[in-house]
Formats: sequence, C-alpha cells, structure tokens
Amino acid sequence: MSVHTEVALAGLRLRNPLILASGILGSTASLLVRAGSAGAGAVTTKSITKEPRSGFENPVIYELEYGLLNAIGLANPGMDFFKKELKRAKQLLRIPLIASVAGSRPEEYADLAARAEEAGADAVELNLSCPHVKGMGLDVGHDPKLVREIVEAVKGSVNCPVLAKLSPNVTNIVEVGKAAIDGGADVLVAINTVRAMVIDVDSKKPVLSNKYGGLSGPAIHPIAVRCVYELYEAVGDTVPIIGVGGVMDWRDAVELMLAGARAVGIGTALYTYGLKAFKVILKGIVNYVKEQGFRNLMDITGLAHKYS
Amino acid sequence: MRFCVSSQVVRLAYIKGRVHGLNKPIERVLWCQIKLDEPLKPEPGQFVMLWIPGQGEIPLSISDYSVDEGILELVIAKVGKVTTYIHERLKEGDLVALRGPYGRGFSVVRESTCLIVAGGCGLAPFPFLVRKLLEARSSVDVILGFKTASEVFHVAKFVHLARRTFVATDDGSYGLKGTVVDVIKDVVDIKGYDIVYVCGKEKMMKAVVDLCREHNVRCEASLERYMKCGIGICGACVLDPLGLRVCRDGPVFSSTILALIEDFGQSWRDHCGRKIPIPES
Ligand SMILES: Cc1cc2nc3c(=O)[nH]c(=O)nc-3n(C[C@H](O)[C@H](O)[C@H](O)COP(=O)(O)OP(=O)(O)OC[C@H]3O[C@@H](n4cnc5c(N)ncnc54)[C@H](O)[C@@H]3O)c2cc1C
Ligand SMILES: Cc1cc2nc3c(=O)[nH]c(=O)nc-3n(C[C@H](O)[C@H](O)[C@H](O)COP(=O)(O)O)c2cc1C
Ligand code: FES
Repeated sequence: MSVHTEVALAGLRLRNPLILASGILGSTASLLVRAGSAGAGAVTTKSITKEPRSGFENPVIYELEYGLLNAIGLANPGMDFFKKELKRAKQLLRIPLIASVAGSRPEEYADLAARAEEAGADAVELNLSCPHVKGMGLDVGHDPKLVREIVEAVKGSVNCPVLAKLSPNVTNIVEVGKAAIDGGADVLVAINTVRAMVIDVDSKKPVLSNKYGGLSGPAIHPIAVRCVYELYEAVGDTVPIIGVGGVMDWRDAVELMLAGARAVGIGTALYTYGLKAFKVILKGIVNYVKEQGFRNLMDITGLAHKYS
Repeated sequence: MRFCVSSQVVRLAYIKGRVHGLNKPIERVLWCQIKLDEPLKPEPGQFVMLWIPGQGEIPLSISDYSVDEGILELVIAKVGKVTTYIHERLKEGDLVALRGPYGRGFSVVRESTCLIVAGGCGLAPFPFLVRKLLEARSSVDVILGFKTASEVFHVAKFVHLARRTFVATDDGSYGLKGTVVDVIKDVVDIKGYDIVYVCGKEKMMKAVVDLCREHNVRCEASLERYMKCGIGICGACVLDPLGLRVCRDGPVFSSTILALIEDFGQSWRDHCGRKIPIPES
C-alpha cells in the first residue's frame, strides 16, 4: 500500500508537506530553486519589505548547541528589486512559491502582497512575528486588532491564499490567530523565532550587534508544538495550520502534525544537515504514516487531540 | 544531536584566543598571530569569522595554522570599519573571539606539480596551502602580484618553501613588470602544472580560470562575497544561477563549477542583497 504525500493547503497543492521556512535560503530565485530541487513541497521567500534594508551589523547569528540565535534584521533588497527574483523563481519552480512580506501598516502589507502576487507568488505569507525589528513583524503582530486589519487589507488586494505567520512571543497566540482568521487568513503559520539573548562572559557584552535576536531550532520545538496544539484546539480543521519550529527529524515533524499541523516548515535543520534534510525528513514521515496504517499524510493531522 | 557544516562537525560558540604576535609588513596590511584556547582542525582555504566585541565580525581566511602551538595566523588588509579598528587598536595579549573554520577549502593534491597565483592580499590563504601541499609531497611554484614595490609583502614566506617564486608589480618597481596573468602567459608554462590555485581580485581570477580552461589545466579559485551568517542560511553570499553559497559551498570553487556561474567576475550583492557589478579596482 502506497502513501499519498500530497497535501492541500487553502487551494495550494503541495507534493509533500515540507515547506522551506522564511528567511532560510529564500533570498534569491536561485536558492529557492535549489530548495525545490532538494525536495521541498513549497518554498517561502525571505520576508520582503517596501524599501531595501541592509539589516543589522555583524554578528547577526550565533550557534548554540540547541539552536540558532539570529538578528539578521530583515535584510532584503526591497520589493522593487525582489519582483525580478520572484518572476524568475516562478518560471523555474514546479512547486508553490510563497512570498513572505513584512511591513508596519495595513496598506503597506496590502501593497507588498499585491506586488508579490503580480510577480508570480502563488500565496503570500504575512510576517507578523519577526522578534527583533522595531515597528515591524512582532511589533505589529502582538496586537490582535492590527493583525485583523492587516489581513483584511491584504485579502482585499490579492486573490491568492493569505498565510498569517504568528509569533510565540505573545501571551495568547490563539487570540492573535483568531484575529487573523477574522480578517480572512486562509492559513495560520506558527511559529516564528522566540525572542532571546546571548551574552559573552569574557567581554561581558551581548553577542549580537542588535543585542536581542530570535531563537530557532531544537530549543523552541516544544514551544511550537504547544502553539500549534492550542491553535488547532481553537480552530480545528476550519483553517489549516503550518507548524514551524525546531523540526530536525521526522519525529519532530510528525509531532507538529499530530498537534494539528497540515504542513511543516523547515528552517534551522537546513543549517544542521544541509539541503538533504527535506528528503530525509519526508522519508521518515512516510514510513511512520505507513506503519501506523494510514494512506495519506494529511490523515494524522490533529490526532493528538483525539487521544488526549 | 550534532551540528554539522559540510559534513564536518563544527565547534559551537566562540573560540577564544589571545593576540600572540602582530606585525605590519606594509602600512595597509596587518599580520596577526592568535594563540587559541582550543585546537582547530582547519583545511587550507577555509575561513573564520573574527569577532571584535562592540565593533563587528568579519570573515578572514586562515593564513596559517600550527597544530603544535595552536597558533592561527591571519592577514588583515585595512579597508573599512572593523579592519581599521583592528589595525589601530589591537594589541598583543588582547582577547579575541572567532567561530569556524567554515567552508570548503582547496584540494590538497598528492605528488603533483602545483602553481599558486595570488594578487595582493589574495595571498592570505596560501602559506597554509603551501605547507599542506609540501606535506603531500607536491611541488609548488608561486606567482605573487602587487601594484607597486611599496605594496609587496610576505615574499620571504613563500621563497623558502616554494620551488620557484615569481614576484611581479604592475609598474615594474619590484620583480617582473606586469600582472600575474602576464607572468603566467610569458614566464611559466601553464601546461606543465597539474593544478592552479588562484586568489585575488575577481577579474584577475576570472582571467586565470579562463586561461586554465583554455589549456585544460585544473584550477581552483577562492571567492569573496559580503557575508552575514557565514553558515549557509541567510543567502547574503549566494552565486547565481546555481544558488551556491560562498560561505558553505565555497569559498573555493573549481573552474568546472565557475564556468557555470554567471556572477563570477561580473556581479556581487550589496548589504541588502541587490545585485551590483563588481567594481573595477
Ligand atoms: C571567505 C572570505 C575570506 C576573506 N579573507 C580575508 C583575508 O584573509 N584578509 C583580508 O584582509 N580580508 C579578507 N576578506 C575580506 C574581509 O572580510 C573584508 O575586508 C572585511 O569584512 C571588511 O570589513 P570592514 O568592516 O573593515 O569593512 P567595511 O567597512 O564593512 O567595508 C569596506 C568596504 O568594502 C565594501 N565591500 C566589501 N565587500 C563588499 C560586497 N560584497 N558588496 C558590497 N560592498 C562591499 C564596503 O561597501 C566598503 O566600501 C575575506 C572575505 C571573505 C568573504
Ligand atoms: C536566519 C533566520 C532568518 C529568518 N528570517 C525570517 C524572515 O525573514 N521571516 C520570517 O517570517 N521568519 C524568519 N525566520 C524564522 C523561520 O522562518 C522559522 O519560523 C523559525 O526559524 C523556526 O523554525 P526552525 O526552528 O525550523 O528554524 C528566520 C529564521 C532564521 C534562523
Ligand atoms: S553568509 Fe549567510 S549564506 Fe553565506
């Protein structure tokens, strides 16, 4: 008996549920295509802003045993330049292309999303959750009212599915998730990185130039599982969830799916294991699903709720 | 759980060390020895990210490394903010921090005849490579190119190891007159080498790579791009159209790969990631 790996995600058809997470390798068409060739089911671009941003000064990254701390600072070439990359990526890719956008006001998100769609994006993801840039991402994403307004504005400007990427750095992620759904979000994505800091004991200084950064990787996996579980409990199958956070192997991916994720984002694992992570993780999920007697990967979504 | 880069396990967190020796062979260049608290396992051509707390973090080639003493050597040209700070403020005994080694280095070929071609500070990674090639019983010729006599440095480091060392300056004020490409064309017989290694300005490297391809000689070049993460995730250093990352898939690439890279010798990306032409000088 063979297992179907395809998943449906608000009108998008993915050949498998593994999605390149935003900000990892997604800064050029060439890298998006490389992730596609490596086996991703869909790819997400780096978050794009209206103006070009050079990001924070180095150091912008720090490797820990249990994950990565980063404050890249949303470095990106801006939508004017990036439209060319999107067009090129769209021409070359055979899988859905998700454009991530970041801004501070509803009209700004709406305009960015419309331009991304025009350039060929199959879906737009709203970064409502970057933890280290003032006035963007999390600064807007912790306010349910603003989140609703942003999603509403974007829904009014594009025809493609709209994904709302949520932050774990809020008291109640369900409240923000519901606000996004009220605004018309087609998919919820959880989670972005967790706000964190590392201090060097010799120089007695925070390591990152921005002092604060976002933690990703194994350290945040249980937080991601909790967030996805809470969201699924609240929204069930009405709006699909993409689970992201510390997926290093198939077990981590399956855990997020059991918690309620229909698809799974892969980020830090690509640093740890390289691009082969997509194929290795997918193979493990397929084996698990087969052994458990299911025919579709989608069949295991949310099962943890049934048994708890 | 193990964290790996290029299938080698890398050390996590900064490695600390103290400045052991400092010397300015020429005004623009600082030669720096760092005694590390922990041993490294570098390959020639790999790089480290050197962190100067409060100033910044920059990629630097491993110029040499002695396993016995745990001493790392760096060659640092003064070009901007962090390198100027290093030039003006770093003292013997200062504590520094670095991460790495990162990337893929040069192939250390055994029992072969090798040619090293370096322009200016592009000689940085080669003392280590020469030693490793000699340990592998290969013989090495070296061509060093500089603008003018006052920019010439490190020649002695190569002269006592290499079979032959050629020095050229653009204006002929030291050694041969001309560029390294002129020396390859006019002085040595490129077909006599099993492999050519090149590092320097990208237009020069492109010319050398093209020359090697013309004569069917294997060639490897070490590229430079603006780097942020250094570990292959942020995309700052990517080469089109293959999506190769200089920090993780490179910095050393073979001429076969370079032939497929349209950015080589043409364009790089600014700090925001916009593609811009590589400046002429
Ligand atoms: C793998 C690797 C190995 C290296 N090894 C050495 C070495 O052994 N020795 C050495 O001296 N240097 C080496 N470099 C270069 C070195 O990292 C830079 O000179 C250093 O980062 C400059 O830092 P800064 O703060 O002093 O200069 P900054 O103030 O950051 O910049 C100086 C100038 O260079 C320009 N610039 C440099 N690169 C780019 C780019 N890609 N796009 C746009 N502008 C650019 C800046 O805009 C600015 O005008 C290496 C670089 C790489 C990638
Ligand atoms: C270096 C780096 C850059 C990131 N940039 C973005 C970004 O631009 N936009 C965004 O929505 N998320 C960004 N993220 C967050 C990831 O998409 C992901 O949500 C997070 O890393 C958790 O997944 P992981 O543990 O699998 O990496 C970034 C993460 C890292 C490590
Ligand atoms: S510097 Fe980040 S990918 Fe190379």
